[in-house]
Amino acid sequence: MLLQVIIFGLVQGSILALATVGFAMTRQTEGFLNIAHGQYLAIGAFLGLVYFDNLGANVFVAGLLVVLSMGVIGVAIARIVFDPVRKRGALVLLFTSIGLAYALYGAIIAIFGTDVKLFSVSFGKSFAIGSASITVGEIIIIALALLTVAGLWLFLTFTRLGMWVRAVASNPELARVRGIRVQIVSSTVWFIAAGLAGLAGMLLAIIGSASPELGWANILVILAVAVMGGVGRIYAVIAAGLLLGLVMSLSAEVIPIAYQTVVAFGVLVLVLVVRPEGLFAVKRRREIAAA
Amino acid sequence: MSSGWILYAVGVLNLVGFYAIVAMVLNLEAGWGGMWDLGLAGLLGVGGYFYVLSTVDSSGLDLNFTPGWPMLLGILGSGIVTAFVAFLIGIPTLRLRGEYFLITTFAFAEMIRQLIINESDFTNGTLGITSIDRPFATTFGGIKYEWVLLGITVLSVLAIYLLMRRLGHAPYGRNMRSFRDNETLALALGKNVTRRRIQIFVLAGFLLGIVAPLYVWHIRAIVPSMYGPDITFTAWTALVVGGIGSIGGSILGALLLVGFTQGLLFIPVSAEYTNVLSAMPQLLLGIALILIMRWRPDGLIPERFSFTPGNRGSGGRFLRSRAAAIGGLLGRGSPEQSGRS
Repeated sequence: MLLQVIIFGLVQGSILALATVGFAMTRQTEGFLNIAHGQYLAIGAFLGLVYFDNLGANVFVAGLLVVLSMGVIGVAIARIVFDPVRKRGALVLLFTSIGLAYALYGAIIAIFGTDVKLFSVSFGKSFAIGSASITVGEIIIIALALLTVAGLWLFLTFTRLGMWVRAVASNPELARVRGIRVQIVSSTVWFIAAGLAGLAGMLLAIIGSASPELGWANILVILAVAVMGGVGRIYAVIAAGLLLGLVMSLSAEVIPIAYQTVVAFGVLVLVLVVRPEGLFAVKRRREIAAA
Repeated sequence: MSSGWILYAVGVLNLVGFYAIVAMVLNLEAGWGGMWDLGLAGLLGVGGYFYVLSTVDSSGLDLNFTPGWPMLLGILGSGIVTAFVAFLIGIPTLRLRGEYFLITTFAFAEMIRQLIINESDFTNGTLGITSIDRPFATTFGGIKYEWVLLGITVLSVLAIYLLMRRLGHAPYGRNMRSFRDNETLALALGKNVTRRRIQIFVLAGFLLGIVAPLYVWHIRAIVPSMYGPDITFTAWTALVVGGIGSIGGSILGALLLVGFTQGLLFIPVSAEYTNVLSAMPQLLLGIALILIMRWRPDGLIPERFSFTPGNRGSGGRFLRSRAAAIGGLLGRGSPEQSGRS
């Protein structure tokens, strides 16, 4: 029974990590908390449904299409909405993103309605691990999250563009002076962030359901993971996502399951008050603060 | 028909008045005190629920706490209890700065809402409570009652407006804005910034608790979904639209924003467009916020109280100066802690 809970926690945690990595990256390179990030999840879930149900795409193809189209949408939003107010500083950007979150939420309801929708996907056959069992679908979700993180790490560590991203995250002024093309870096980061958010949203819709509330329901958990990870390091964010997923599903063993989100926010408040630099920060090291 | 329109308009005005008060309280906290609170909804939830539970007629309800107090006692009680909750939230959160304060207050509001949903032995859970008495309802029954409520709302707006004006011009208010604009200087002058912050936070909690019943009387019911992030962001948008730092701006912002979005809902449309129409308030709220931030970040009525004369209303001065204070934190991955150390 305990093992089963841990498996579910891992699945939930992997998706959380996927959803948060992009959020932490934009926070680092663009310098503000994008509250609309949660709505990207919801849009991803509904786009996935459109590709899967209406266009009849295979679920993996649908996932890929979601990543690509959300990436493009993310870049477009950044150019149209965020760029014009960038010079006004973090708080104007923050409130702009709150406005954007509302506009997108309204648009989702206007286009897709308020009904809860389900993906009719089979999770495949399940394997027994001791007393617990895990399905092929769940293995794929965990593997997908791990592969994405590994890919992101390779990209940031070994490619020129990845190095640029890290440079901008560490010191935007210096990066600009050194001739790094900040605009390209910004587009890249928005593409990755929105694409991964879309994918995470679709996965959430697959293990649960898609509804317009998906975005609001998850933005605080995303904030919690980002802050726990110390809004700066990609690996720390992944670890925090997995940890919070586990804590949330394990806590259901002790206290009523309805309190899962309370537990998540309780952990967030505790971390902020006790260890505001994040759980995994050894010391402040901005040079590795890529994501 | 025409009287239906007027009654609807009166109802909308009641809501405008409620949001005007919340925006004014928010202006006290954020506009003057520099505390960017995203947890209003939680405190209003505490106040609303305490008022309803302490005054409701308990017959037919099987809840743990329904003492059946008279209304005035309930209102006062809800103010005190909400102030106490604000105090409890303030102690850990007021040490945090900038966006970390935003996140934590937001998280507390959400925790409060989840508690209200889940502790159904006290709150009746998601079903809520629908049999709510309203003041003077026995004397002025029927459909004309909205006018009575409007009178109460207008008086409340006026009272809070006068209180805020007084606070804004008093040394206390100047003191408050001094640590907003330059905390180091205020500390150097021997002002007790930490204590002042807690005081303002608790005062805001008390005021929110006292006005929380207005919202309940308007809706005529109480359910947890009334206290989602919507209420916080609507008040924030009203404040930002009107002009952060100015009291008149809060009222104007609430009037424009709530009046417009609610008025829109009254447009008759065919059934296939009901989804689109129900999404309109959110959509417009969002677009309004984006546009204001882009072209008029100081709002329609910029702040008059400022320590940098000649700089007033010069396109985003307020938010820029706030952002500069917070900007130092960005990218460092750690909120600075103040505290008295």
